[in-house]
Amino acid sequence: MTLGGYQVRLQRRVALPGWKAALFSILAVIFGLVLFSIIFLQAGQDPLEIYKQIFSYAFFNSYGLHLTINRFIFLALASFAFIIPAQAGLWNIGMPGQLYLGALAAFGVVYFAGGKSGDLALSAPIIILLMLAASMLAGGAYGAIAGFLKGKWGVNEIVVTMMLNFIAFYLVAFMIKDGGPFMNLGGRGESFELPEAARAPMTGGFPITLWIVFILTILLQVLFSRMSLGYQIRAFGKSPLAARYAGIKPFVIAVLVFTLGGAIAGLAGYHYFAAVPGVYKIARTYGYFGDLSFYGIICGLISLGNPIAALFIALLFGGLSIGGRYAQGKLHLGFGVDYALMGMLMISLVAFQFFYNYQILITKKERALDVDVSD
Amino acid sequence: MTNAKTRGETIELHGDIWKHIQPGEVVLDAQGITKRYPGGVLANDHIDFKVKAGEIHAILGENGAGKTTLMSILFGLLQPDEGEIYIRGLKVRFRSPEDAIKMGIGMVHQHRKLIPAHSVLENILLGHPRSKGVMKLKEAEEEVAALAKRYGFEIDIRAKVWQLTEGEKQVVEIVKALYRGAKILILDEPTSALTPLETDRLLESIESMTQDALGVVPFITHKLPVVLAISDEVTILRRGRVVDRLKTAEATEQILAQKMVGRPVIFDLQKQPVEPGEPVIQVENLSARNNKGVMALNQVSFTVREGEILGIAGVAGNGQHELAEALFGLRPIEGGRILFLRRDITRASVQERWKLGMGYTPSERTEVGSIPDFSLIENVAMNYYFDARFNHRGLLDYGGLRRLTEQIIDEFDVATPGPDVNIRTLSGGNLQKVILGRVLSRHPKLVIANLPAQGLDVGATEFVQRQLLAAREQKAAVILISEDLDEILSLSDWIAPMYEGEMVDIIPAAEAKKEVIGAMIAGVHQQERES
Repeated sequence: MTLGGYQVRLQRRVALPGWKAALFSILAVIFGLVLFSIIFLQAGQDPLEIYKQIFSYAFFNSYGLHLTINRFIFLALASFAFIIPAQAGLWNIGMPGQLYLGALAAFGVVYFAGGKSGDLALSAPIIILLMLAASMLAGGAYGAIAGFLKGKWGVNEIVVTMMLNFIAFYLVAFMIKDGGPFMNLGGRGESFELPEAARAPMTGGFPITLWIVFILTILLQVLFSRMSLGYQIRAFGKSPLAARYAGIKPFVIAVLVFTLGGAIAGLAGYHYFAAVPGVYKIARTYGYFGDLSFYGIICGLISLGNPIAALFIALLFGGLSIGGRYAQGKLHLGFGVDYALMGMLMISLVAFQFFYNYQILITKKERALDVDVSD
Repeated sequence: MTNAKTRGETIELHGDIWKHIQPGEVVLDAQGITKRYPGGVLANDHIDFKVKAGEIHAILGENGAGKTTLMSILFGLLQPDEGEIYIRGLKVRFRSPEDAIKMGIGMVHQHRKLIPAHSVLENILLGHPRSKGVMKLKEAEEEVAALAKRYGFEIDIRAKVWQLTEGEKQVVEIVKALYRGAKILILDEPTSALTPLETDRLLESIESMTQDALGVVPFITHKLPVVLAISDEVTILRRGRVVDRLKTAEATEQILAQKMVGRPVIFDLQKQPVEPGEPVIQVENLSARNNKGVMALNQVSFTVREGEILGIAGVAGNGQHELAEALFGLRPIEGGRILFLRRDITRASVQERWKLGMGYTPSERTEVGSIPDFSLIENVAMNYYFDARFNHRGLLDYGGLRRLTEQIIDEFDVATPGPDVNIRTLSGGNLQKVILGRVLSRHPKLVIANLPAQGLDVGATEFVQRQLLAAREQKAAVILISEDLDEILSLSDWIAPMYEGEMVDIIPAAEAKKEVIGAMIAGVHQQERES
């Protein structure tokens, strides 16, 4: 392409340092915000004021920050649940189902310990550990179904996880709605409330699941960059044929990544229904959180499978979804503005990944009398 | 950058640019073609060459000499940084292959780009202006058939492409290019996948094309006899530069090889006598199916001992590939038994086979033998992630793997900027060196080498063959699968020709004659026995 005597060319990058990748992501966010401000201007609003409201509420207001962090924890877990199978080249679309199962299992522990009516048969630390373990086991087992079918017979994992989501959705409905074993005694279409002792402990104002996220980030980073197992997962993801030749067992990998991913999604279920202050029950609107977990796919894709990058993306979208909703209410913006803004940033982030692979070169063009044959 | 005037001229020129060609006239003139890749690699450094009508102008060079880059520039796939291309004296610039095709340049790729489920005719018409809107299939069919006949190509144009042999697919590509009006035909390693018989036939047809004053430019790596047999003139490239240009009549195989590699090449591999030892692998009645579910390997039995090379000769698709995969546990077997070091490994996993001391270098080097998006280090890890030397309680010793990779780069003379680059940036020969180096670094007791030198240039071929001989001298057993009879004859201790999934015979190499083996892999022997 030529522009006014200058030749603009695209050149494939040989390598991209990590700091540049981060820089492009930041530029992408700024670009997205600038682009979206056109829409605000169109509506006669001051974009700077709106962005100020969004970010100050999401990250600098004590109440908003708590909401942001809780959402961040959830999104980060959902991203990890997607990233692990994604590194093996497999698509986990089953976070909703896996997190429903995780939540049900955690509440099941309380139910069997007699917590529905009030008094628990077990001490608080034990019940909390059991709940965490149960949510991971249930989510992992639910994920493993897709991994097993994929590894054994090559059944498409996207279809399986999607279908399992429906089953889990209605299983939750069966358990918590009228007549279900976990039904709230008030019959509001939600589950019983967790007794005090079964609620996740708080540290520094945030639930312990925040620490679980940080520990998982380190573990995943070590898994993929240092461990033989992580190597095998990545090798399988890049080239299943070459992995098989190298002696990597496809069945083991498929089952393993879906079990791990499912277990982490199960934790996300635990987090929202048993660790977020003010909830402590499987809410009537549990389907909303299922849908929210799909943002994990986007965070996972934008971060290109890097758990640390996923953390930042999850924080951004966690904050935007909270701050955006707040600003929408406060400034009387149109319905869905918060989602539109998030969508714009996602597109911008994905589009900027073009620069991960290409760089633009501008050189002065020498004019030549040549015959052009592209008529 | 085009103003209306030149544009108008161009269209006019299209119509008659190819009229009144005189044999011997310069039809393609490339001057000072220069191309620099990101990272500073100078792939083409002021390359000049001319193609005359009615002439076959071969371009010879090792992998990485810049042939592919030059070819891509001529066909509009890449734009040169410097340099000009003239077609019949008219300066042209190709922005895409579409432009090149319009100017009468046709290209036949080494890796054939045909759609297997479609018929030959459909493939030929694909992308042709004729295939827009309503296709006059009948008319097109006649034209294509006439064109094929003119140059002596025998193809069934209604056959589906998947039914064709590699040689026939090559012909389809050529006819496709000709049908699109190619006057200058660029052939990328035209004979690399063909059997000797198919090669002869193809060369005849290529020669007949020059009668119509077409310019033909075959790009060839290592098949020097092919260059000598067909070309009129040859340009030799090394490291992006033209090192020489000469009349083929004045050239010999030795001269060409030396100029291409930059040092004298010894065609005669000095094979040391090795006393065979204990049996390493014993195969009994092994059978397996191919990917289509048809029995492709039928009751094959053989033994290879320490210090022996068993050469498995055969035309592609006669069960050698299935044999290699079945031996390595990559393909389920239908029957039979495999003993490795007298131990039954018929049911062993692939990883166990690696651990026991088997090694395999696949023919599909980019799809199976390596992971293109992984670094050299990570590719070397393919054979070591399970090895206690590099796997400490689940943690991989990347530092140790780096040292090992550097050692392989060093010992195997791999041309690469370093161990951290993605392996996809390596040329074919260097890729194979890494794969072979990685496998041999395990000091395997058995090496299965599937088409180890296919598509490699003279220098890399010689290197790979020497490494296999070195493994033999270190008392490894080697199973060498090759379609190149000369390679089989010069390396093997025993030769097993395969035909239709069976081993026709196992002959001591000392007693083997090329003609006899050639007949056996063509099925002649079989028919004689049956009748």
